[in-house]
Amino acid sequence: MTEAIVQDPRPLLAVLVSLVAAVLVVASYRSPNVREGWTILAAVAKFAIVASMLPRVLEGTVFEWTVVEILPDIAFVLRADALGMLFAFLASGLWIVTSFYSIGYMRGLDEANQTRYFAAFAVSLSATMGIAFAGNLVTIFVFYELLSIATYPLVAHDETPEARSAGRKYLAYTMFGGGVLVLAGTVMVYWLTGTVAFTAGGIEELASADPGLAMLAFFLLAVGFGVKAGIMPLHQWLPEAMVAPTPVSGLLHAVAVVKSGAFGVSRVVLDVFGPELVFDLSLPFGFSAGLVLSTIGAITLTAASLIALRKDHLKQRLAYSTVSQLSYIVLGLGLFGWYGLVGALLHIPAHAFMKLTLFFCAGNLHVSTHTDYISEMAGIGKRMPLTMGAFTVASLGMAGIPLLAGFVSKYYMLIGGIRMGAELTPVAYYLVGALLLSGVLNVAYFWPVIYTAFFEAEDDHDAKPLVDFPMGGERRSTLAATDGGRAGDDAATDGGRTGDDEVDESDDDEPDVEDVVESAEVGSDADADGADAEDTDPEIPEDSDIPDAETDDLPTDEEGVVRPDFDTSDRDFSEPAERVDTGDYAVDASPSDADVPFGVGRGGAGSTGSSDVESDDDGEGDIDDDGTVSDHDARHADHDDAHHGGPPPGGWEHLRGLAALRGRESTWFTLAPILTAMSLAVLLGVIPYEMGFLELIELIVDTRLPEEVARP
Amino acid sequence: MTDVLLPLSIAVPIVAATLPLALGLRYEDVGWPVAAVTTLGLVGSAAAVALEVYTAGPFDHELGGYAPPIGIELVADELSAAVFLLVTLVSAATLVLSRAIGPRGNAFHSAYLLLTGGLVGVSLTGDLFNLFVFLEIVGLTTYALIAADRSGASAYASLKYLVVGTVGASLYLVGVGYVFLATGTLNMADVSVQIVEQAGYTDPLIRAGYAFIVVGFALKIALFPVHSWQPDAYQRAPDSVTTLVAALVSTASAYALIRVTYSVFTVDFLAANDAITTGVLLVAGVSILAGSGLAVMQSDLKRMFAYSSVAQFGMVAAAVGIADETALLGGVVHLVGHGLMKFGLFCGLALLAAGYGARRVEDLASLARDAPFASGALAVLGLSLVGIPPSVGFLGKWYVSLGAVRSAGATGGVVGIALAAVILASTLFTLAYVARVIEQLYFAGVDRGDAERGVADHGDAGGHADGPARDAGDAVADGGSGDATAPGTVPTAPLVVLVAAALVVVGLGFAGAGFESLLDPYLSEVFA
Amino acid sequence: MTALPAGSAAHAAFDVLAGSPVAAGTALDVLGTRHAYVTFALLLCIGLYMMIANPNLVKKVIGLNLFQTAIFLLFIASAYVEGGAIPIVYSGGEGPYVSPLPHVIVLTAIVVGVSLTAVALALCIRIYDEYGTLRVDTLRELLREEGSLPAGPGLPGGESSGEGGDGDD
Repeated sequence: MTEAIVQDPRPLLAVLVSLVAAVLVVASYRSPNVREGWTILAAVAKFAIVASMLPRVLEGTVFEWTVVEILPDIAFVLRADALGMLFAFLASGLWIVTSFYSIGYMRGLDEANQTRYFAAFAVSLSATMGIAFAGNLVTIFVFYELLSIATYPLVAHDETPEARSAGRKYLAYTMFGGGVLVLAGTVMVYWLTGTVAFTAGGIEELASADPGLAMLAFFLLAVGFGVKAGIMPLHQWLPEAMVAPTPVSGLLHAVAVVKSGAFGVSRVVLDVFGPELVFDLSLPFGFSAGLVLSTIGAITLTAASLIALRKDHLKQRLAYSTVSQLSYIVLGLGLFGWYGLVGALLHIPAHAFMKLTLFFCAGNLHVSTHTDYISEMAGIGKRMPLTMGAFTVASLGMAGIPLLAGFVSKYYMLIGGIRMGAELTPVAYYLVGALLLSGVLNVAYFWPVIYTAFFEAEDDHDAKPLVDFPMGGERRSTLAATDGGRAGDDAATDGGRTGDDEVDESDDDEPDVEDVVESAEVGSDADADGADAEDTDPEIPEDSDIPDAETDDLPTDEEGVVRPDFDTSDRDFSEPAERVDTGDYAVDASPSDADVPFGVGRGGAGSTGSSDVESDDDGEGDIDDDGTVSDHDARHADHDDAHHGGPPPGGWEHLRGLAALRGRESTWFTLAPILTAMSLAVLLGVIPYEMGFLELIELIVDTRLPEEVARP
Repeated sequence: MTDVLLPLSIAVPIVAATLPLALGLRYEDVGWPVAAVTTLGLVGSAAAVALEVYTAGPFDHELGGYAPPIGIELVADELSAAVFLLVTLVSAATLVLSRAIGPRGNAFHSAYLLLTGGLVGVSLTGDLFNLFVFLEIVGLTTYALIAADRSGASAYASLKYLVVGTVGASLYLVGVGYVFLATGTLNMADVSVQIVEQAGYTDPLIRAGYAFIVVGFALKIALFPVHSWQPDAYQRAPDSVTTLVAALVSTASAYALIRVTYSVFTVDFLAANDAITTGVLLVAGVSILAGSGLAVMQSDLKRMFAYSSVAQFGMVAAAVGIADETALLGGVVHLVGHGLMKFGLFCGLALLAAGYGARRVEDLASLARDAPFASGALAVLGLSLVGIPPSVGFLGKWYVSLGAVRSAGATGGVVGIALAAVILASTLFTLAYVARVIEQLYFAGVDRGDAERGVADHGDAGGHADGPARDAGDAVADGGSGDATAPGTVPTAPLVVLVAAALVVVGLGFAGAGFESLLDPYLSEVFA
Repeated sequence: MTALPAGSAAHAAFDVLAGSPVAAGTALDVLGTRHAYVTFALLLCIGLYMMIANPNLVKKVIGLNLFQTAIFLLFIASAYVEGGAIPIVYSGGEGPYVSPLPHVIVLTAIVVGVSLTAVALALCIRIYDEYGTLRVDTLRELLREEGSLPAGPGLPGGESSGEGGDGDD
């Protein structure tokens, strides 16, 4: 492969197009339609620019454009080589999908500050392109920092205390990774070699530099980029950042931002140090720098999978899944050999498609039903068949089922690991073991979601033993009892789950955990206790006196609940996790830590933050409590007050056949992106070459490996 | 003939300083035009000097026609031209700010012109004793300006600064005296020659002299153990004065430190005296840590950024102590960049204080919605201070850390390595307080309807503290009301200046190569 | 500054007029035998101590003056040449002369010192007008009550005017 370097401004254009779009988005803040138009236009234009470079990059051309000499001997240079193209092509393509989804999601939830959201999103994508096309360490550092800054408004979007705290944490972690470690590593590389330019196969001078210093530089850089890729001791920011709106979690915290970390690591391994040097930098006990990197990856992926098992909040579970899957990439990059590297790089797009699908599904559940917790999802499959279907496909892919994207990449990595174990060092076998184990764990944490969605009913399902219930499970129902009359039977035992205002009231009975929520809802809850009597449904068992729940006229009919309620302006996952059973299980007395990140500890903050939002609801709450409830009001209050999901009274509506196909479960703004992302995941599993990714990756790896380990 | 500009640039503002007072007897409000015309002239002069220096090389002027070793010499080289330019530009920009938010009196403008003249003098002089005189002119006018608020608190802050500042200048003078004893000359260039010829770098007099000089400057710059005057002075001074003082006064002292260290004592002296260098590095490192730590704990905005100056000048002092060519370049870039950034930050805070009464961090809650441009500029400047590229803050940090790593790698000393780590980690320290401000500005989650009520309350509560101060200050120093702008708006002209400052700070981030090529003659001469 | 200790056997004879300093490397001996320099050191310390320890603002200013005077003494002493004439050159006059440069320096420094004292005293008057006291401790209490000084915990900066002196060399 000859690398023909072509001077061409297209890499720069790809960066600039969304920066310009950000300005236009801000300028047209008065008109949402124009504003979103710019976003879509920029997304399409960006993808077109990137795609226009793809054919020639596949032939080995490198597009390069030097903007300015930012430091002496260090140009601010953008170059689109195969590795950069891989990431840029992926991120720009998925931005189109995400843009549509964002529109559906943000409008569906009637979010505040949408202009800032779309502008920051566009800037983030610029920074991502910059990272992809950066031609040296300083340029990548510039965009890496810019990405941290641009993503911060998205994480802190809600302006609630926990969003701010997540934003703070996010900034602190990424700045530590970027501003401190990456900068230190860059400075060291510059000091050792006098250059920071990316060179396929590694900067030569580094091989002759002092091994100890080179090692230090390698780990500074690898860990610095690894922070964004969520390697284990430094992964904490990622689950917290899930307070961001779901499209952000989807594109940025599953694709662009975290992948920029993984991409940075691959740049460091492939283009700064070179795979050979990374393997040769040896440490005691038969380890090398690359193996240490892989080991960190292996530990992270196992531990993160185990944590994911116990997360009841769906986005949290996905976040830990992300942490774990990103470590595949890091692990694969440490494997010295053709297969390992191909597998690692292929996992970048593979994971992107699958995780994007999963996050979009989680977001869609949130928009349409306000359900965030897995324990509330029993039977949700019939309400949202397409969404949960896509979810199933994507999670199967995660687990590495053949014909799906995840299989191909894992397959390559396994071969790479085994070959390395056979030829070079037995340590690699442990890595293979970790890979296999994590496949099992993947099944273990995704299967309960699918199982509960499709094979259980809301009024009769098992508790999920690993989440927060006794081993062996518990039969119960999340279905709202529609009248108090059934208080005694098993539906009633599970009460509390039903309508959302009941949930709130149930909180009253558990001051330790949830009272903060109540205190915020002054209006409706001041009389909540009194209202208990009239307004209540089968209450928490401790309230076993539940006097006359019959007087409650919560809507029992379907039409009250079917339509997604779009005027709610709350984001419910900011609230403490609502227990499925608020009463008589031992676990409730001593809650497990399963939901801590969004749960107990943060409840207080959550309630104050949403207080003004909730104060809006007070009016309705009052009406409610005064007993003048119309069906409409009740339903409204349901979704508004309620920060909790779960099936409406009467159970999930069952969408069948045509209704489902017509997308009645949600809007096509969200459904289409879900299905697109899912199809891409399937396609990548079936025809990886035709999609361009595998071809790109083979090109990348071929140009960077020395002869003796080149493609078999 | 360009060399005549040097004495003129010093003399004209000092002479012009008498005009507002003299003409003030006849005309009202004559101060601002006089100051504006003079400052504009200075900007032109600085531009001409810089052009000459960067194209044709350094030049000097012998005052009164006496030859240098005896006569006083004014020197414009690559370093002093940069500081000269910074001084005049920031002074001019401050004038725009003070026009809008006060003080506006003739006395203020007289002091302002004196200060500018003194600052230009500091940056141009080539004589050790002359430097002392200009430092004192700068000091005296700064004390007067800080007290321009006419409140007891500002007088106390000013007196505190006066005592500490005078001790600093006096210690510098003692150091100069020692050097004079050893060498018998005061001309900088001559001293650097005579030190070698007559004394040698390990001569106790020379060592003691340098130690006194460094301690004197540390007091003036406000490095950590001796910084305590600075927060009070910055907080109590009128907003425009804080802007000017924060951007230039400590900067001038730090410039003088670089000048004396490298042009007079030279890098060989540092190499020959490890103990002194280590001491400087320790103080610098502790300054960075302590300054940032104290800044995080403040809730008054001006105090917060005052402590931030302690940390940032720690960085400059570190660059001086590292004695590496790259680090010194970083030090100079950071010196200039910090001047610009602090000007912008204090200018932005002044505007928000004038428009919305925001003096404490919590007063900023969600102000970004009402004052998007001022908030945006503040955010950009703050991030630049953190060292986010592309910005001049990043450039400075890059060079200083590169130099630190290089010298730590070369010597392997514990202090060097620790200092390199501190410099690299300073991103996080700075971020800790900048993020607080940005978060309040943008993500407080406050409905501005509520917030305005809240701010009004705060304003009243906090206003009592400095209420009398400001009122009195306005009455006397301005001869008019200080907050002429309608509440709830930000005056336009200074806003434009502020946004321009933010853009310049970002734009300079791409000018690394430019900085290096411009300063290269100076650096290669110093490190010859 | 007129307290020029006479009789010290001057040695630091810098024939500055001729432009060629002599007596290189002997500065150390000079220090050992000269009481002018000892006085300088004493005055310096007394002044510094007054500034740090005395709670009265005006006395702090007096300490400041002492401190500066000490420095003037240093310069004047350094200028002394044994048997030197005043450095006013008559036509045909013969050397050696006392070095005139330090005198010029001290004259300038005195001017600076006077203006400083003036500003300091003006500030003292303003403080006294405002608070009716010149004692630092009382003053700080008043300021804290008024809210001008951070009273809260962990906010240093009320470190008084003590400047810690030459701690780092």
